[in-house]
Amino acid sequence: MKHVGRPIPRLEDYHLLYGGARYLDDIELPGQLYAGFVRSPYPHARVKRVDASEALSMPGVVAVFTPQSGRPFDFAPGGKVRYQGEAVAMVVAADRYLLYDALEKVYVDYEPLPAVVDPIKAMEPGAPVIDESLGTNIAKREKYASGDAERALSSSDRVVEEELVIERTVPAPMEPHGVLAAYDGRTLLVYDSTQKPHIVRREIAKSLDVPLTAVRVVQPDVGGGFGSKIQVYPEEIRVATAAMALRRPVKWVATRSEDFKMTTYGRGLILRYKAGFTRDGVLKAIKGEVIADAGAYDWFGFELASTAVTMLPAAYKVRDLDVDAVSVLTNKPPLGPYRGAGRPEATFFIERIMDLIADETGLDPVEVRRRNLVEAAPYENPFGMSYDSGEYVAGLQRGIEATGYYDLIRNAESERARGRTLGVGMSFYIEITTYGHEVAIVRAERDGSFTVAVGIAPHGQGDATGIAQLVADELQIPIDKVRVVWGDTDLVPDGLGTDGSRSLTAGGSAAVLAARRLLDELKKAAEAMVGGPVEYSNGTFRSGDKAVSIAEVVEAAYRGKVKAQLEAMEVYRAKATYPYGVGVVVVELDPETGLVKPLLYRSYDDVGVVVNPLLAAGQIHGGALQGISQVLYEDVVYDQEGNLATPNFAFYHIPKATEAPRYEPHFAEAPHRSEHPTGTKGVGEAPTIAAAAAAIKAVEDAIRRATGKKVRLRRSPVRPEEIYRLLRE
Amino acid sequence: MRIRVRVNGVWYERDVEPRKLLVHFLRDDLGIKSVRVGCDTGHCGACTVLLNGMPVKSCNVLAVQADGAEIITADYGDELMERLKRAFHERHALQCGFCTSGMLLASYALLRRNPKPTEEEIREGISGVLCRCTGYQNIIEAVKAAI
Repeated sequence: MKHVGRPIPRLEDYHLLYGGARYLDDIELPGQLYAGFVRSPYPHARVKRVDASEALSMPGVVAVFTPQSGRPFDFAPGGKVRYQGEAVAMVVAADRYLLYDALEKVYVDYEPLPAVVDPIKAMEPGAPVIDESLGTNIAKREKYASGDAERALSSSDRVVEEELVIERTVPAPMEPHGVLAAYDGRTLLVYDSTQKPHIVRREIAKSLDVPLTAVRVVQPDVGGGFGSKIQVYPEEIRVATAAMALRRPVKWVATRSEDFKMTTYGRGLILRYKAGFTRDGVLKAIKGEVIADAGAYDWFGFELASTAVTMLPAAYKVRDLDVDAVSVLTNKPPLGPYRGAGRPEATFFIERIMDLIADETGLDPVEVRRRNLVEAAPYENPFGMSYDSGEYVAGLQRGIEATGYYDLIRNAESERARGRTLGVGMSFYIEITTYGHEVAIVRAERDGSFTVAVGIAPHGQGDATGIAQLVADELQIPIDKVRVVWGDTDLVPDGLGTDGSRSLTAGGSAAVLAARRLLDELKKAAEAMVGGPVEYSNGTFRSGDKAVSIAEVVEAAYRGKVKAQLEAMEVYRAKATYPYGVGVVVVELDPETGLVKPLLYRSYDDVGVVVNPLLAAGQIHGGALQGISQVLYEDVVYDQEGNLATPNFAFYHIPKATEAPRYEPHFAEAPHRSEHPTGTKGVGEAPTIAAAAAAIKAVEDAIRRATGKKVRLRRSPVRPEEIYRLLRE
Repeated sequence: MRIRVRVNGVWYERDVEPRKLLVHFLRDDLGIKSVRVGCDTGHCGACTVLLNGMPVKSCNVLAVQADGAEIITADYGDELMERLKRAFHERHALQCGFCTSGMLLASYALLRRNPKPTEEEIREGISGVLCRCTGYQNIIEAVKAAI
């Protein structure tokens, strides 16, 4: 029986549902100590002195590490803290409660410095400089240009100029960050709530100056990541260093409020631009800059800005472009990847521009997109991104039909007559997934089952089930004969972990190819056993009337009766591939309060082969809510002094079940395969990318329906008070 | 202080510091790890347990306040909890799984007091537990399937 394409419930669930789950804080090692961090209350300050003497005299306190501890702890680099919550010292204690007592008793003398949290202000002359060695807050600027944007602007019928802002978001997986490290005198064992165990291993080995073989990283069950567990944080290095120094297991688990201080934030991009278009709604040129609010260290800000620029033209024909990617230092935690990482922002920006053209020309938003779309792939966008496969004009059409977009508009009109204010927004997206190499080992086990060890590191996506489906089909065996393992650098090959919607495509392709090679090996052994050429199907090698099962071949090889490789490893180099589709959001506006509630998300996605529609739909649901929530609910707020006013879930709003819409995903009936063996393109981020752009349009549409006036929303999130104001203007 | 609690049908008697939270008592003192900590403000609901039949956030209760109480966690294996777990599996109602214990207990409590909830009542019933992965729909479908 074929497994690919079937909605098979996850194999991972048993473990998670029936008491087997072990998240980081569930793991305890004998003699384990607890670590915690003293964090700066100032967004920018010189650290003059850290006095740990009182803390060290308290019961249960084992050690305090401070800026004087030097590398690799590396507290207050350059003698400064650069954001509120940056760690200045680390306390290690015998007990969780004693730890928190002691953290209060580490005294730090700060000399507060002026802070800047707005990236636009940070670029102005006279702004406080965060990294003196740069002499400016502009960490990096690069130009992306194609054609002649100036000329195309001057020959456009209309030119508009504006600024689109996507405020920061907190990725906020339900499990906060945490690490547990133990040192046996030779090897560091590190349990880490990470998306990339092998990268953590490399970073720890490098920072602690020990060989790679001296570090084993285990990824336990991870309670979500959404990009925030890609970065190897200083805390991970410090916990490992403390465990090595103290020769005791050391555990650190962030409280949620601490997580909001140290995690990488998402989004945080601004597009300042001019765009030119014809009176027929054809976009001619964009000139401007994408500015990343990079935070205190430019870990990932520039990558996000440059991804947003290179994907800005989407699948639209516009080729006269002149857009800078800029990363700007601010007194905030570093910016990092968050579900989509640059692509949701690119889509948000370009779809806002398409909606603007529709508003300015009076054309239907779908028609504007149709007029601008490239017919089909293969297509190389102006910045050299090679879209591999897809029909964009036909895809838009199918997406509009599948989502019932015009019916939803008609319904909104008729509901208006009944006193309800609905808004409908659509977006067309194309995004890039998959990069780098990925690795898999398939091993034949003595009972005729197969173990697949993969370098990806899933943490909720269900890739183990997807890969089991792929391998079961490749080997033509039942899925219960396939076991997928990951997340332990001692047991699985060195891969890049899980991010970028690449795991099933890159990791799955590696697994399929490894399985194929192993089957070839077993076939040779089978031929030796039956003494002639064999055909393989459904677990059995046949030669004339002779037959030998795959389990018999493996058993013979294990007993040395026939020579065969019992394991195959594949390193697979995965090229980028490009999912695309349509997202539609319906919201309801309460004109009395300005509050907006999402009612429905419908989508049409061509994500290549859908290995497991149950899991793919699950990705659409959760991803769509994150995109919608970015626009409607999630708001990171700083006061004028640079204090974070939204330091935890009491202030930063993650939607509840009562605030979530219905989701109705549709997948392309005849999807365009990627060129990878799996034929997949990735689905983890597509819904987040499509939903935010559609959600903001839906809000505009609702306001228009309530007031009869056209409004233009330029900032995500859209705050209820802004809507309230627009309704009364 | 010495307290006695009955967890999933078993009595435990322990000395606890008065300031210890029930969630830490369950996790650290009794080793019941399915009760999880996702925040420090009482908002995420990952630590939800049933205290004398009522869903409570065990990070908002001191262990000493639970003296004499009957506590149920997601490890409880009666027919209703089994039905919910099966439905969560079949409907793909969990992804990372971190909120799942809280979701199961919120759903369990809901179905105990209201065996035939509407969709709106289900949404309301689980709204004390945050999920960042599923978008909630499959959890709601699972609860419906377990009715």
